[in-house]
Amino acid sequence: MKRLLVLAVALLALGLLLAGCGGEEQKAEKVLKIGTMSPLTGPYAADGNDIRQGAEIAVEVFNEAGGIPGFSKIEIISEDTACDPKQAVAAANKLINEKVTAVVGAYCSSSTIPASETLAEENIFMLTPASTNPKVTERGLKYMFRTCGRDDHQAPAAVKFMKDVEGVKTIFIVDDKTTYSQGLAEGVAKAAEAAGIKVLEHDHVNQGDKDYSAVLTKVKAAHPDLLYISLQNSATGALMVIQAKRMGIDAILMGQDAVYHPKLIEIAKGDAEGMFCTFGAIDKNAPKYKEFLAKYKAKTGNEPGAYSAYAFDSATAYLMAVKDAGTTDPAKVRDALLKLDFTGASKQIKYEENGDSGSNYTVYKVQDGKFVPYWNSLTGQKL
Amino acid sequence: MDFFLQQLINGITLGGVYALIALGYTMVYGIIQLINFAHGEFFAAGGYMGVILISYLSSQGVNPYACLAISLVLSMGYCALLAMAVEQLAYKPLRQASRLAALLSALGMSIFLQNGLMLTQGVYDRPYPTEITSGGFEIGAISISYMQILIVALTAFLLVALNILVFKTRIGRAMRATAQDKVMSALVGINSNRIIALTFAVGAGLAAAAGIMVGLYYGSVNYTMGFVPGIKAFAAAVLGGIGNITGALVGGLIIGMVEIFAAGYISGEYKDVFAFIILIGVLYFKPTGIMGENVDDTRV
Repeated sequence: MKRLLVLAVALLALGLLLAGCGGEEQKAEKVLKIGTMSPLTGPYAADGNDIRQGAEIAVEVFNEAGGIPGFSKIEIISEDTACDPKQAVAAANKLINEKVTAVVGAYCSSSTIPASETLAEENIFMLTPASTNPKVTERGLKYMFRTCGRDDHQAPAAVKFMKDVEGVKTIFIVDDKTTYSQGLAEGVAKAAEAAGIKVLEHDHVNQGDKDYSAVLTKVKAAHPDLLYISLQNSATGALMVIQAKRMGIDAILMGQDAVYHPKLIEIAKGDAEGMFCTFGAIDKNAPKYKEFLAKYKAKTGNEPGAYSAYAFDSATAYLMAVKDAGTTDPAKVRDALLKLDFTGASKQIKYEENGDSGSNYTVYKVQDGKFVPYWNSLTGQKL
Repeated sequence: MDFFLQQLINGITLGGVYALIALGYTMVYGIIQLINFAHGEFFAAGGYMGVILISYLSSQGVNPYACLAISLVLSMGYCALLAMAVEQLAYKPLRQASRLAALLSALGMSIFLQNGLMLTQGVYDRPYPTEITSGGFEIGAISISYMQILIVALTAFLLVALNILVFKTRIGRAMRATAQDKVMSALVGINSNRIIALTFAVGAGLAAAAGIMVGLYYGSVNYTMGFVPGIKAFAAAVLGGIGNITGALVGGLIIGMVEIFAAGYISGEYKDVFAFIILIGVLYFKPTGIMGENVDDTRV
C-alpha cells in the first residue's frame, strides 16, 4: 500500500513536471502545423507515400530558408487514409485535434470529399495534389483547393488525342469502379461517342485484382483500335499491360494519370513500350523542377512519383500564402492564396476562385523505359 | 468457340493456383480442424522469397531455368520453416483451448505476417524478372503462354507428389492416423506434434510454390497479395470438401473457372460474387462439399 502511494505521488510529480515543461515550451515557440493525408498503406501506398514525401520536402525547403516570420518552425503531421472514406474522416479529425491549419491531400477522390467536409467545419485548408473528380471543387467549399487537373478536362484531352493523332475508330474501356476511375472512364466514353469513336464495351474489374485474363480475352475478341485502361493504381495497370501483351493484344494501350508512375515501367518493363498515358505536363528541364528533384532524391533515394511535385507545390503554395498574409487566419490566407502566381515544380500555379488551378494535360508515350512527353492537349501539337 | 476455349485455359491456370493454396487449408483442417487464415500469407511470403532469390541468382548469371528451380525449392523450404514456427508460436499453445481461440490466433497471425512483409519489403509492388517466362505460342486464335503450361504442370506434379506422400509413405500413414484420432495414434507411438508441424510445413510449401507461380505469371508481387487468393482458396477447400485433397483440386478448378467465365460472359465486376454464390450454394445443399463424404479414408 505504502509503495503504491509512493509510486502514485512520484507519477503525479512527474506529470506536473512534464506539464510544466510543455507549457513553457508552448509559450516560447509558435509552431506552424500542416497535415498530410494520403494512403500510406494498402494498394495505393506508392502514390500515398509520394504525396507525403513531396509535402515534407516543401516544409524542409521553407525551414532551411529560415521558416516563416512569426513562427519558430514548420511541422508536418502525416496521416494514413488507406483510400477509405471512413478512415479519411478519422484522419481529418485527428489532424483537427493536432491543430493543423492546412492539409495536403488526400489521394482518392472518394476520401478527399468526405474529409474536406470535416475540415471545412473548422475552416482548415485542404489542398489536394491528386484528386481529380470534378465534385472536389464543385461543392462551394471555401478552403478547398486543387493543384492537379480535373477528370472532365482529362477525358476530352484523351479522346482528342485518340481521334486526332491516332485516328482511332473503336475503343474498349476498362475501369476498376472507384469514384475516380469509373468517373473518368464514363467521361471518356461520353466524349468518345460525341467525337464519333465507337465504344465497343465498357467493362469493370475489381480493385486489387491480379488476374485480367478473362476481360482481356474479351478485348482480344472485340479487336478495338485502342484499349483505355482506367485503373486506380499504377501497379495493377502494369499487370494489365503485361497480360495484354502476353495475350497478343495489338490494340494501342492508353492509361490515365493514376497509371502514370515510374513503377508502371519498372514492373511492366518492355511490355509498356509504346503505351500512352495522360498526365499533367511537368517540364523536367525547368530549374524549379530540377531543384525539387535533387532534394527529393537526396531525401528519399527514389525518383519522385506521379504526384510528388503536385504535393510539393500544394504545400509550398499554402506556406507562401501564410508568409504573404503574415497570419494563419483562414480568410486572409485565402486572399493571399488566390493572389499567388508562381512557377511550381509541376506547373505555373494560379488558383481560380473555385479552387481549381487549370489543366495542363499532356499525352506521354513510353519510349526506351521512360515517359516521354508526346502531345500537348491544349495546343494539339506533337512535342 | 475460340473465346470459350481461351477462357477455359485461363480458368484452368487460375484454378491451378487456387488448388495449390487450397491444399494447405485442407490438410491443416484435416489434421487439427483449424482454418488457418494465415495461410494466404505463406503464399505471399513465398512469392517474395521467390523474387528475392530469382533476382539475385539471375544477376549472378545463373541459367534461367536452374534459377527458377533453385528458387522454387528454397522458397518452399523457407515457407515450410516459417509455417512450423508459426504453428509453434500461435497454434500449439492453444491446442487444448476452444476452436475459436485458435481461429482468432490465426487471424492475428495473418495480420502480423502481412504487416511484417510490408515493413521488411516495403509498400511498393516488387517486379519479377519477366524474361524467364515471357513468351508462348498460338493455336489458331487461342494463345497459350509458357507460364500457363508451367503452372498447370507444376500443380499436377505437386499433387501427385503429395498423394504419394500421404498414401504411400509411413509419414503419410501417420498423418492419416493423427487426423483420425490424435490420442489413439499417440498411444501407438506416433509423435502427433511432429506430424502436425509437418502438415503445416507441407501446406505452406505448396502455397509458396503457388506464390512464385503467381509472381511470374502476373509479373509482380505485393504484400497484400495473400489476402484475396487466400479467401478464394479457402472457398475452394470448403467447396471440394474441407479435409479432402482431391476435393481441394476440384474446388480450386471450379472456383477458377467460375471466376473466369463470370468475368468473360457477364462482367469482371461480378466474378467474385459468383465464386461465393457457388460456395454458399454448396454449403446450403451439400455442407460436406463435393468430395466430402468418405471422410476417413482420404482425409489427411
